[in-house]
Amino acid sequence: MSDGLPGPAPEINSADEWQRLDPLMLLVHPVRELIRFLPALIVVTIAGTASGEAWQLLAVLVPVAIGLARYLTTSYRVSEGRIELRRGLISRHILSTPVDRVRTVDLTSSLIHRVLGLTTLRIGTGTASTSSDEVIDLDGLTAEQARALRESLLGAATGGEEPGPDAATAPVSEELVAIFEPAWLRFAPLTGSGIVIAAAAIGVSAQFLELLGVWDQIDTQDYEALSGPSLPLLVLIPLVLVVAVVVTSALAVVGYLINNWDFRISRRPAGPGGDWHLVRGLFTTRETTLDADRVAGVSLTEPLAVRAMRGGRLSAIVTGLDRSQSGSSTMIPPAPLTTVERAAIAVLGDPEPVHGIVRPHGPAAVRRRWTRALAPTTLLAAMMVALVVTGESKWLLLALLGLPMAAALAADRSRSLGHLLTHSHLVSRSGSMVRRRRVIDVEHVIGWNLRATWFQRRVGLTTLVATTAGGSQAVPVLDIPEQMALEVADQALPGLLSQFLR
Amino acid sequence: MWRVSSLVEAAMTLAALLVFDAVVDQVDLPWWVFTLAVGLHLAWAIVVPQWRYLVHRWEVTDTAVYTQVGWWARERRIAPMSRIQTVDYAEGAVERAFRLATVTVTTASAAGALRIAGLDRDVARALVDELTVKADAVEGDAT
Repeated sequence: MSDGLPGPAPEINSADEWQRLDPLMLLVHPVRELIRFLPALIVVTIAGTASGEAWQLLAVLVPVAIGLARYLTTSYRVSEGRIELRRGLISRHILSTPVDRVRTVDLTSSLIHRVLGLTTLRIGTGTASTSSDEVIDLDGLTAEQARALRESLLGAATGGEEPGPDAATAPVSEELVAIFEPAWLRFAPLTGSGIVIAAAAIGVSAQFLELLGVWDQIDTQDYEALSGPSLPLLVLIPLVLVVAVVVTSALAVVGYLINNWDFRISRRPAGPGGDWHLVRGLFTTRETTLDADRVAGVSLTEPLAVRAMRGGRLSAIVTGLDRSQSGSSTMIPPAPLTTVERAAIAVLGDPEPVHGIVRPHGPAAVRRRWTRALAPTTLLAAMMVALVVTGESKWLLLALLGLPMAAALAADRSRSLGHLLTHSHLVSRSGSMVRRRRVIDVEHVIGWNLRATWFQRRVGLTTLVATTAGGSQAVPVLDIPEQMALEVADQALPGLLSQFLR
Repeated sequence: MWRVSSLVEAAMTLAALLVFDAVVDQVDLPWWVFTLAVGLHLAWAIVVPQWRYLVHRWEVTDTAVYTQVGWWARERRIAPMSRIQTVDYAEGAVERAFRLATVTVTTASAAGALRIAGLDRDVARALVDELTVKADAVEGDAT
């Protein structure tokens, strides 16, 4: 559309020519491949050199060759408002995208990259394609090169003032919105990520042990001697639970640290309209830059445990980025609510959508929350009671505990449910286990879906869904009374809905 | 068309059941399972398509497209003309037998596609042309 940048953009030195990645990249690939093959290498070494040393040599040479081929065949250029990437040895691949479609730019540097002063630049363009072949990532630019490229890409994408050739070196005004504090770590054990890490760790180590044939050596008699009569089951189970909790918490804290160490979110240039700039990571550093025009809204998420400690996290709804690229859209990791809200206000430029009191959806919606929570649990409890009456174990009565839990859930869910329409944003809040407050700029709403099942129609409710091109693609407003839904939709985008539904 | 589709589906379920019965010797399916399956599918094939047809609506104005589909869960979708990205025209195997077609209007959101199924072929072609012209007239990249 608009490659009307005056002159053949002075963006990058010798912009029109195909450029290679940095030669230092030759070191990165072999090292990385070596690490990947490390378990295999160890096994080979442990298994003895019976098969000769040729195999081990091959394991070193192949990665080096792959790295060399990749380096020689990959090149990129920025010219005439397009960025093009050429790669592949056997099947050649040329990717080309208009610069003004660039939504996000990610700079990721692993530990090896950082030692060599390199980085990987990845461009998010909002393509629907998920094939990794069609992602533009330049693996192995020097840090300065990457920064300069980023400035020029995003400068052109926003259509703002042309960045000069020294844009990268010139001090850009920067407005810091939030910065990592060690106190944030207290939210880490509550997020459940520890369990995921622990599961992964167990899986990997089990596989590794199997590889070494440890399982076969474990004697069942050893096991019996170990657990023995020394610990009764009643002590053992809580003990195992406590250990599990401690271990997963520790893992979660470590994971949080690795991901979010030195987290910073800032706006560059300062003031409204500046691009969002995020930095984080302990070993692998990630710098993400979000084009401000593409930030359609935010989603403020409070999982139950985190909410109990007055925390939450924030992610952006970015046009053209969907959920699978959520890494790019996280704005604040689990952190105190005040920080999260402050950042949300900065992103939206308006405190009302964040602090405004949501409008509840009336008694019918509340009733629906209660029936939905209680009906299945009541059924279950009734079945269990019937089973106990007919002589099954009394432990089944534990199911009755589900009733008060379901009631609490329903009460909380109905309290959370609501929506709000400010002059520029649509706010929807719902959920209890994970409470979400989604805020979307009405300008980014690209359509409405009104969905109602027979149950909903019977009590005059409907689910209004504002569709959008970013995030989870839709902002649902659950169980809103029909009339209210029409009013909201009509106020948000005047005239669109009223021509069909009166 | 919907009725034929569900009849086809019913026949396939029945065939699957028969094959299952023949292959697995241990499980002897009683005769009432077949009766039940056939009965349910027949009822389904009679009631649901009629219901669908009664709900099914679509409308195009100068600024937007509107559809209403479903039977149990009824869904109404509205997409403004300015946000339309692609207009798809498709004829399924069953549809072709009836000279019908499906027009799908997609927007930039994965949640916002509008499907108008079972249109007369000529009406569908005209609709595609109309939508294409109208969507073309609007500036911007529709996100």
